[in-house]
Order: sequence, then C-alpha cells, then structure tokens
Amino acid sequence: MSSPYLRRRITNALAMVLSTLATLVGLAFLAWILWETLRQGISALDLKLFTKITAYGEDGGLANAMVGSLIINFIGIAIATPIGVLAGTWLAEYADRTKLGESIRFLNDILLSAPSIVMGLFVYTIIVLPTTVLTHGSTTFSGFAGGVALALIALPVIVRTTDEMLRLVPSTLREAALSLGVPQWKLTLQILIRAARSGIITGVLLALARISGETAPLLFTAFGNNYMAINPIEKMSSLPQIIYQYANDPGDSMHALAWAGAFVITMFVLLLSLASRLILSRTKVSHD
Amino acid sequence: MTDSALATNPASAVATSAVAPKLTVRDLHFYYNGFHALKGINMDIPEKKVTAIIGPSGCGKSTLLRIFNRIYAIYPKLEAKGEVVLDGDNVLDPGYSMNRLRSKVGMVFQKPVPFPMTIFENVAYGIRHHEKLSKSDMEARVERALRSAALWDEVKDKLKQNALGLSGGQQQRLCIARAIALKPEVLLLDEPTSALDPIATGRIEQLVEELKSEFTIVIVTHNMQQAARCSDLTAFMYLGELIEFDQTEKIFTKPGKKQTEDYITGRFG
Repeated sequence: MSSPYLRRRITNALAMVLSTLATLVGLAFLAWILWETLRQGISALDLKLFTKITAYGEDGGLANAMVGSLIINFIGIAIATPIGVLAGTWLAEYADRTKLGESIRFLNDILLSAPSIVMGLFVYTIIVLPTTVLTHGSTTFSGFAGGVALALIALPVIVRTTDEMLRLVPSTLREAALSLGVPQWKLTLQILIRAARSGIITGVLLALARISGETAPLLFTAFGNNYMAINPIEKMSSLPQIIYQYANDPGDSMHALAWAGAFVITMFVLLLSLASRLILSRTKVSHD
Repeated sequence: MTDSALATNPASAVATSAVAPKLTVRDLHFYYNGFHALKGINMDIPEKKVTAIIGPSGCGKSTLLRIFNRIYAIYPKLEAKGEVVLDGDNVLDPGYSMNRLRSKVGMVFQKPVPFPMTIFENVAYGIRHHEKLSKSDMEARVERALRSAALWDEVKDKLKQNALGLSGGQQQRLCIARAIALKPEVLLLDEPTSALDPIATGRIEQLVEELKSEFTIVIVTHNMQQAARCSDLTAFMYLGELIEFDQTEKIFTKPGKKQTEDYITGRFG
C-alpha cells in the first residue's frame, strides 16, 4: 500500500475514534444524570408523589408543584408562541436584508442569552410590584407573573427558530407562488408557514423544554405555594422551585423528593425532545 | 442578409416568420445593484411559437426571462429600463397590474418546486386566487391542466396525496400544469429540464411541442440540442447583449454572426 494512502487511512481512523469518544463522553453524562436522579429519587417515586401536595412535607408529594409547573409553562408558551411566530415571520419575510430587521435579529439574540434571573426581576418590577396597589400593599406574586417571565425566555427561542426555518424555505418556492400572482400575505400564510411548519413546532417544543427547567425567573414571580393553586392570580408552586427548596433542606427524605422531582422534569424534557424529533422526521420535506 | 443588418436591428430577423409579435422588447436595460446586466435588448417574440434563448452562463438569458413577468421585482436593488410590450401595453409600467401580468404570463423554474400540499391543491391553488369556481368546475379545470401537462394518467388515482412524493420529472410537469391552469397567454420556461434525467427531459420537450398550439412559449436553456430540437426561433445572447435572433434552423446551420457560430460549434461557452 502506498504511503499517502496509508496515512489517509490512519488519519481517518483517528478522527473516527476521537469523534466517537467525544460522543460517548456526552452521552455518558446524560445517562449518568438520568441514572443519578433515578437512583437518588427512587425511594420517593411512588403514587403519592403525584397525588399529595407539598404541605405534608416529607410525607407529601409534589402534586401542587407539577400542576403549578404545567400551568405556568402553559401560560408562558401561550404568550410566547403567537408573538414569537409572528415576529419570526416578519423578520424572515418582510424585514430580511434590511437594517431594521438585522438590528432586531441582533437584539433578539441578546435576549436569547440574557440571564434568566434578570427576566424574573424584570417581571417582578413590571407586574408584581405595580399590582400591589390593587391589594393595598400585600404581595402579589402569581402564577401569571411566573408565566410572563417564562414567556420572555421562550420568546427569543421561538423568534429565532421561526426566522431560521422560514429562511430555509428555498426562494424558488416564493418565486413559484408569486409567479402565479399570489400576494405576499397568502404566500406567507398558506405556503411558507406550511413548508416550515414542522420546524416551527419543533422550536416551540424546544422553548417549552427550555423553560420547564427554569428556577430563577420564578423565585420573584410565582414565588411558591405549599397548597394546590389552580387560579393563575395566586402564588404558585413549580417543580424547579420545589427542587431548589428541598435540596436546601437537611432531611434525607426531602432530598429524595427533590431528586424524584428532578427525575420527572428530566423525563418531561426528554419526551418533549423526542416528540419534536418525531415531528421533524415524520414531515421532513426535501426540496432537492 | 448581411451581418451588419442583423446587428443594428436584430428584430428585423424575425419579420421573416410572418407571425404577429406577442411580446415586443424595446431597448431593454437591466441593472443588478448597479451592474449593467442587459445592454439594450430588442426582440419580437412571435405568438404561439417556441422561442429559445441560449448563451453561456451569465449572459443574461435568465435575467431577460425574469423581466417578462417582473418576478425580478421581488428582490431589492434590481432595475429594468426600457419596454416589454405585451398586447400593446408596457408591462414594466408601474401602473401595469401585477395580478394581470402574472395571470397572462406563467413561469416554470429550473428546479421543480411543488407547494407543500396535495397534487390537486397544487394546481387548484393558483386558479382559486384568480377565479371563483364551483367544485365540479374546479375539478374539470384541474383535470384539463393535468392532461395538458401529460401528467393526468400518472396521478389521477392519487390527487389527494402530497405532491412532494412525485418524482422530479412528474413534479416539473405538475409545475407546468400549475402554470397553464391559469390559462396564461405566454409561458416562460427557465431551464426547465436542467434538474431532470434524459427520459424526463424528453417528455418535457415533447410537451413543449404540444403546448405551442395554445401558448407563446419562451424557453431559456443552456442545452443547445434542446433549443435545436424544440424551438422555432432561437436567440443567442452573450455578455448581456442579444447577438443574433433568427429561425432556429438558420441559427444552427447558417448563423449570421461569428460569435454565434463559435458558440454553437462549441468553441467557447
């Protein structure tokens, strides 16, 4: 075998071994996290985790925190999705290659990397504090305020993915529709959004996965509640906040509960990611 | 006819075809972001004939085609000056309705680009924008378009399936069906077979032959054999200028200009 050929084979083998190793290291940590949360939380993983509220302490479960998380996340996504999809559409279809569009895209990227505690403090100042006027001074932490804080985190994610997914749609598709005399708004709503649909849905699911693990923005907004709260104007508990609280508790059974909560969140995020993968692969569309 | 006569008035070459022009191009200039891409094009495109535009990459042939339905206007910093007269009206006049222009001049692109919807909806989509038809009228109209595009027999049992499941050649015929469903008068084909295999290409060329009884067809191609096979007239462009425009047979057998001859004999391009 000639020497340059041999050298290429060795380089190829080396690159393959290194990249496989790197992948294994990444996957190993993921498996380790899942295993550790399961191992530490297994003693608390029972039916009462889902049926009893945190008011019972170590004899209780996390029911109110799970319900709270679902409500707060739902509010966050419900606010962020329409605004994010519309803003992303505007960026990709109406403001592409304009100075204003580029500036807004840049600002959105800054919002994307803003520390989440800042969002919590911001919502505390614009919603929680002003509304104390209505309650004559008593605190007005609420699930709704928590939802708004999470919406601010989800928003730039959705804007970014919508923008990128729409810009991936080949310009020939736009030309084809416009050459039939179809106006821009119909093209956007009926063809482009449809072509980019699975990518946009994936973006929303990823934003949901992102916010479902957030703790910091909820500390000054939803605050926490040891009882079941359904009404979003009440203080509300959430899984990340309970994990934070229980992890600081000296009791071992409280730690187990926190681990069980961590396991539930991790599984939730994992399932969301799998769902978004499934959506993306099932409706994958090739234009070539 | 001498070389100089052709050069000063390329349009006169077409007078021999004895067919009234459908599209008349007068002193057309085009600028890409300041770059002078078309330099004073004059040509008369006759009705219900196939006119091919050939030339090396970057000669401006696609640019010229994309002016005829003003599709270039969706991008910023592009500018066309001059006249493109369709049935007596200058389509470059800002007052000329885009809706009217696009319903009279249909276009098929290099790559097949079906919309992400069913086969039926792909054809019905454009019609629905211009006309209100009853369900049965729409079905008849879609069927006629698919038959004209020689696609009906292959898709009649799967009209409700996603168009993206069709083969490349079928997708391109679907795009032709979509364009002719609007009953345009002029059909612009921008290298319609460059992404297709030889068999699919042959079918499209056969289709072009059939469609010219109904439509005025302008086809841009970098494949000279294709121009020779399926066009009545051929225009040769080079560096943004129309070098020669004449009967296809004449262009390929007795070209009037040296540059044309060099190109068709493969000396450059």
